[in-house]
This record gives sequence, C-alpha cells and structure tokens, in this order.
Amino acid sequence: MDRRVRVVALLLVAAAVGLGSLGLALPGSDAPGGLMAAEHPTMALLIGWSFAGAGVVAWALRPDNRFGLLLYATGLTWFSSALMATDSSVPFTVGLLTAPWWLGVFLHALHAFPGGQVKRPWPRMLVALLYVDVTLVQGLRLLFTSSADVPGCSGCPPNALLLSDQPDVAVTILVVQQGVIGTLVIGGTLAVLARRWRVASAPQRRVLAPVLATGAVCLAVQAVGLAAQPASVRQSVGWLGAASFAAVPASFLLGLLRQRLDRSAVGRLVVDLGTVRDGDPLDGLLGRALNDPSLRVAYWRPETEEYVDAAGRPFPLPASYADRAVTVVEREGRKIAVLVHDPVVAEDPALVSGTVAAAGLALENTRLQAEVRARLEELRASRRRLVEAGDRERRRLERNLHDGAQQRLLAVSMLLSRLERTGGDPSISGMAAEATAELGRALAELRELARGLHPAVLTDHGLAVALEGMAARAPIPVELVVELPHRPTPEVEVAAYYVISEALTNAIKHAAASRVTVHVGTVEDANHGALLVDVVDDGVGGVDPGRGSGLQGLRDRLAALDGRLDVTGPPGMGTTVRAVIPCG
Amino acid sequence: MRVAIADDAVLLREGIARLLAEGGHEVVGTYGDADALLADLETTGVDVCVLDIKMPPTFTDEGLRAAAAIRARWPWVGVLVLSQYVEPGLAVRLLADGADGLGYLLKDRVVDVEEFLDAVRRIGSGGCALDPTLVSQLLSRRQTENTLERLTPRERLVLEAMAQGLSNPAIAARLQVSLRAVEKHVTNIFDKLDLIVGPDADRRVLAVLRFLHG
Repeated sequence: MDRRVRVVALLLVAAAVGLGSLGLALPGSDAPGGLMAAEHPTMALLIGWSFAGAGVVAWALRPDNRFGLLLYATGLTWFSSALMATDSSVPFTVGLLTAPWWLGVFLHALHAFPGGQVKRPWPRMLVALLYVDVTLVQGLRLLFTSSADVPGCSGCPPNALLLSDQPDVAVTILVVQQGVIGTLVIGGTLAVLARRWRVASAPQRRVLAPVLATGAVCLAVQAVGLAAQPASVRQSVGWLGAASFAAVPASFLLGLLRQRLDRSAVGRLVVDLGTVRDGDPLDGLLGRALNDPSLRVAYWRPETEEYVDAAGRPFPLPASYADRAVTVVEREGRKIAVLVHDPVVAEDPALVSGTVAAAGLALENTRLQAEVRARLEELRASRRRLVEAGDRERRRLERNLHDGAQQRLLAVSMLLSRLERTGGDPSISGMAAEATAELGRALAELRELARGLHPAVLTDHGLAVALEGMAARAPIPVELVVELPHRPTPEVEVAAYYVISEALTNAIKHAAASRVTVHVGTVEDANHGALLVDVVDDGVGGVDPGRGSGLQGLRDRLAALDGRLDVTGPPGMGTTVRAVIPCG
Repeated sequence: MRVAIADDAVLLREGIARLLAEGGHEVVGTYGDADALLADLETTGVDVCVLDIKMPPTFTDEGLRAAAAIRARWPWVGVLVLSQYVEPGLAVRLLADGADGLGYLLKDRVVDVEEFLDAVRRIGSGGCALDPTLVSQLLSRRQTENTLERLTPRERLVLEAMAQGLSNPAIAARLQVSLRAVEKHVTNIFDKLDLIVGPDADRRVLAVLRFLHG
C-alpha cells in the first residue's frame, strides 16, 4: 500500500514537472528553452517522461535497487533546462546551470545498470568526473559567460552568476568542459561498456544487450555532436542524439522486462517438474528457469555436513565467489541445498525465490535420493575396504607361513634327514626317518593350508598359470581358455580366481559334472573394460541361485568391485556361472 | 658335481649346502639372490645351479628368469629350480626350449635325500628331474580324458618315471625289474601313444611331457 502511494506520487511529480516545463517552453518559442526548446518539444517531453516512468517501474519492481531512482532522476533533471525559457534572471540562471545535469545522472544510471551500484573503480571515476564536469565546471564557465553568448539566446534575461564578461575564458572553459572532459568520459564509458559486454555471461548479456546497444549509439552520437563545430551541424546532430536518447529508457525497460519475462519460466518449471523422475538431476531444469545454463545444485547432507550432487558424489562449493554466486535453499527452516549460479541471477531475487519455491519438493526429493546414493556409495566403499583388508590379511598370513613355519619345519626336516643318514644307531635312524615322514605330511598339510589362505601362485604369476594348476589338480577334465592382454588388478584377479575355484568345486561336488569349460576374457564396457569369467559344466544343473554360502560370499565379493555374478542351471542342462568384474 | 646355490632363506640355503656336501657334491658358492650367483658364474666352474624360484627383489619368478639366463649363456650348466609350489604352467615355461639339464622340484623334496642327490646328479649330466606331484597331476589329467586307458598299470608307472626324468636303469631300479623289461615297456608305451622314440633320455622326457600337457 505504502509503495503504491509512493509510485503514484513519483509519477505525479514527473507529470507535473514535465507539463510545467512544456508550459514554460512553448509560449516563448523564440526563447532558448534548452533541450525543451528543440524543434520537437513534445518529443523532449516524452523522453523525460519515459525516463521518469521507466525509473518508477524499475523501482516498483526492485524497491531495494537504486537503479530505478537513478533513471527517475535522469527524467527529472532532463526537464531542468526548461527554466531557461523564463523571463527572470534567477530561474534562467538555474536552468542554465542545471541544463547538463541530466547527462551526469544518466551516465551514472548507465553504469549502475542493472544492479543499481557502480562497483568497479574505472566506471566510478568516470561517473564522478562527469558529475564534476556538469556541475562545478559548468558553474565556473557561467561566471565568465554573459547570457548574450548563450547559443540561441537573443532576448534572454541576464546571467545572475556572471562575474565578468570574458568570452575568451568562457570558450577555453567550454573546450575543457566538453572537448576534453566530455570526450574523455564518453570514450572511457564506451571502453567500459565494451569490456562489460566482453566478460558478460550469457544471461548477463541477455539483460545488457538492449541497453548497451542504444546507450552506445547514443553516446557515439553525442561524441560526434561535441566534436562538430558549426552550429547547424550541431543542431541536427543534437536532434539525432535526442532521437537515439529516446530509445534509451525503452531499452532499459526491455532489459528489465527480459528478466521479468523469465518469471513465466517458473510456470514452465512447474510443468517440467511433473515429468521428472525421482532422483534425476534438476540442474538443467532450474538452469533453464533461471536462464543460467551453468547453474548447479548441491544438496546438503546434514549427517556429514557436506554437499553432494544428485548422484551422491561430494560437491565442493566454489572456492571463490568472484564469478559464482550461491543461493541457499531452505525448506521448513532447514537447509536442503544450494544453487551455485551466475551472480546476475541473484539480481532478480523474486524470480529466484519463485523458482526455489516451485522446485522445493523436487529438490527435497532429490536431496533424499542423493543422500541414499551417497550412503550406498559409502557402504560399497567400506565393503570393498573390508574385502581388501581380508585379502590383505590372508595374504600376510600366507606369507608369514611361507617365510616362517614352512621354512623352519623344512630346515628341521633336513636336519632329521641328515641325522637319519649319519646316525650309526639303527633305532635312531629309524626314528629320524619316521619323524621326517611325519614332518613331510605336516608340510604338505601346511602347504594346502597356505594355498587355501591365499593362492601365492596367483599373485606371483597371474591368472593363467594359477588356473592351469587348478585345472591340473581337478579330478575331471577342465578345458581352459584364458585370453588376457595384460594382468588385471590384484583384487580383480583374486575375485576371478575364487569364482572359478568355487564354480569348479560345485561342478565336481554337487553337479556331478564330467567336464568343465573355463573361459576368461575381457569385454569393453561403456567407459572401461571388464573381466568376463564363464564356467560351464555338463552336470545335473538345477542349481538354486540363492543356495550355498559359497556363491553368496562370491556375490558379496564381486558386488564390492561393482561386479556381477549370474548362475543359470536348468535341471539336466548343466550349470553356467558367469562373472563380470569391472577392471578399474 | 660342483654346485652353486641361490636362496634368500639362509636356513634352507645352508641346509641344502650341507646335504649336498655330505652327499658327495662340492658346493662352490651360496648366494642370497640370483644376480649374485649370475655374477660369479663366469669365473666359477659350476655343473649345477640350485635356485629358489622366489628371491629378491620381487619374490615372484627370479629363479625362472635366472634359469633362462643361464640356459642362454652357459648351456652346459644344469639348473634345478626349487619352489614352494609346482605348477604345470611354470614347468612349461621352464622347459620351453628343452628339458636337458633342467629340473623343477618342490622344495620339500630335499628331505628325500637320496632322490634329491640323484636328481642333482642327473641334471648335472644333462638329464632332467621333474617333481612327482607335477607328473602325477599331468598323468591324472590325461587319465581323465581316457587317453591312457590303453596302457597297462605297469606301463603307467614307467610313463610316470619317464616323465620325472628317470633313465631306463633308474626306472628298472625303482620298479625292481630288469632293464630289458623296462625297455620293452618303453617301446610299448611309445607305440600305444604314437610317440616317436628319441635317442636321448631328455628328448624322451620332453616328448612325454608335451604329450601329457596336451
């Protein structure tokens, strides 16, 4: 309510000032009415009003953004030169003094678009310089300019500021004011605008494009106007400048409207969200709604206090906020996600909050999915670590047996052998022989135990050699085809070895197979290769895939490596065990 | 025989050296790894090298590599590879270019002193020694494929002994039959298995092994 009143008040003030200016300028058409006295006073009126009107609209859209007020101020100062049409000295002088003020405010607005603030040092300096130029330097010049020397001012009231009529000094100051400082500011501004365009992101350009285009044209025309000396050329260029200037507020509104139009994207987003399946990434949809293809969503995991993406992978937030902005998404007071996006997106908070509100439920859903996936990934990693730790421990035990007990026992056995050969006493020789034989059996058992703990030959010589030994020890014929271009990682090798070992044992023990074929090869997956193991027997089949702790253990082992174990065995048709193990 | 031993386990290295010395062989050097042995081989006259298969630095197949190196540079030097496990795949690799003067035995065999000493002697004189476990694995594999069913039980024993690298007199001694009987069995076996009889014992071993390994 309050804001509506203010909007109406601002519009009324602008209307009154505009009409008042027109009223001043129209009757004395021979009087120098500044811009208002140009050939088309109605057009000048429309320019002023459109600036003021556009400013009010912009301010109504973003009350906390100063840009709208700057635009409005441009419109009001625009009218000030109409005071030059009055008959009395003081208002005339005020009009004369303030005639170029609008230019400073306009440049300020141009550099402040669309955020309302001029943050970078160069634009700040340009704006400050022009303010000084149109106020102080203008005042200084008027001290030495009689009203008769004002262009088109034949019957003007006297200049109240006149200190001494010195046309030479006035002209010198004019050259500095318009030729030097004016050109500098306009050139600098063109350079700044060019740079802004160059570094702007796609959504920024969408907003900047109309403004920069018309603004640049307008400034260029003004620059030509300043450089042109004959009054007739100046006048026509001035008209051209006015015409291009008229397009500026429209372009500001167009730029703002482009952001405003995006609000309909929220409606589209709601429709699109209806078609999204649970767990799908929302980055693209939100990016489209906020017109920022670079937008990414990071979901908050309260239990680990970290951000993850939709797939549950850790999502590090950008270290620098120079070119990325972060918007926190909350639901029922809890943080559920953050949007990492182009800073320009934040310039339309209403659009952001609308989008976030529309996508809130979907974001919460995706967050839960991401959390589950992250937990699954952690579980899988921990399972892999467990399997690896188990393997490592078994390997260590096997190695300790080999380096320790086995060697010591063998050494003892050798001593006993020597005792048997050298000892003269037959009873001692006999006992030594007995002990050697007993130790031999113990050593054989120990060797089997060590092999059961960990197949050392696999680690030392790879799958092909290890499987050949396994096949040779099997009581039934085992046909072996191993096609490996290079050795897989130890975990993959061990997994494949145990799969084949278990399948072979089952074929012999339970399936009463008379023949087994083992094939080990590689397949190319979408992004990386996988080891493919097939064990086919000609046994009785009819295997229950859920039965047997051996198969289940293998499934767990393979799952830890993201692998798969398929067992098929229709009764009477033999059994096929297939394992697919991704290689790294 | 002049014997050099390479094994990183001191206990076993010294034990084997004692056994060989007491068995009438001359131990000319003991080493902790294969490279040290190879470095000395040129200057030390050696008939047989006894190598542990796993030695520093990688503890995988240094013995096999050293065996290949010795075969290439000093073909007259016999090599006996000892291992904690015997694997057909490794035997194939070791015997890739012939079986003469080569041996591959389970470490535990050293305690069967007579057999071990005999194996070293055989290898030193250009013969061959393969571990019984290995041979019986190969035999049983062939047996399961019914390719040996034409052999009599006695012929199978002779085949096994041949595969282990034993000469005819040695086989005769082991089976306690006459040399003529062994020779007859050997001829029968080669006929039944369609093998060409080679002139030397080692060629014979290779032919038998190739057949068994399939």
